[in-house]
Amino acid sequence: MRVLLTGGSACGKSTYAEQLVSALPQPRYYLATMRPYDAESLVKIARHQQMRRDKGFISVERDVDVAAVELKPGATVLLECLCNLTANELFDEQCAVDAAAYERILAALASLEERCDNLVVVTNDVGSGSPDAYNTSTRHYVETLGRLNAAVAARFDEVYELVCGIPLRLKG
Amino acid sequence: MILVIGAAASGKREYVRFLGYTDEQVTDAALSIPSGCAGGISTDGVTAPASDGVTALAPDGVTAFVRDDTRPVLVNLHELVFAAPAAAPDLLELLLTRELVTCDEVGSGVIPGEPRARAAREASGRLCNQLAQQAEKVVRLVAGIPIVIKG
Repeated sequence: MRVLLTGGSACGKSTYAEQLVSALPQPRYYLATMRPYDAESLVKIARHQQMRRDKGFISVERDVDVAAVELKPGATVLLECLCNLTANELFDEQCAVDAAAYERILAALASLEERCDNLVVVTNDVGSGSPDAYNTSTRHYVETLGRLNAAVAARFDEVYELVCGIPLRLKG
Repeated sequence: MILVIGAAASGKREYVRFLGYTDEQVTDAALSIPSGCAGGISTDGVTAPASDGVTALAPDGVTAFVRDDTRPVLVNLHELVFAAPAAAPDLLELLLTRELVTCDEVGSGVIPGEPRARAAREASGRLCNQLAQQAEKVVRLVAGIPIVIKG
């Protein structure tokens, strides 16, 4: 089963994702893509670690190249989240855009899909803001993540939008 | 309690009127916050964006405001949260005593660069998740169309 969960910030995606994955077979991997670059991100990572404590996850922290993650047969994978992975793959340390990131991320997700029984991917809706408010790099990010979301949704079995913690079924 | 959510100007206030509530029964958080505060209103009545340079309201003041106001409907809840993100957890029980609460969905778009705006967005989202969990009904307005997503 392949499931994509989308929605805005703090709409309950992570809570729902962990509930969903907790009901799926072991071994369960939590593939964390957030890069711990400042105090705020460390707080966020600690909050997510607390949320999944005692839920039987094997935690793997991987901010790029998720295709390199080794999985046991029959794995269930929760990838949290595609928006961080996209930023990490798209920009280098000088914030230069890597145009190959889109294809690289899609290929990495395909590699995960081939090697696990269940894959749940959390993403974000970042395309609803005004493009005038963003610089060129951010517009690249919005476009890349939007295209990735559409491509992943097209090939996944189920897609949900989380609104106030309520899952709205969009596909499947 | 009925929770009504949706994008800015998606028809939430019209929906409140459609349900039969008069303006006298409605507390508008956007009109209750002093100008110059985060998320407060400017002189032309247009909501100003929250930013680091804007004064925040004291959380206690926001909590007291919600506690002391007895009207059955509160609209523009996100304005209160943007004015005092730290007050959000304390508002939950107070808001559950209302008949209806409306809040803008503020979590879409790219994550804001300003820490305060990020915190306010997160606080607003989490408060709405908790309200939705306990609400009898949750209605999402899209282009003026009410879509019941719970209840």
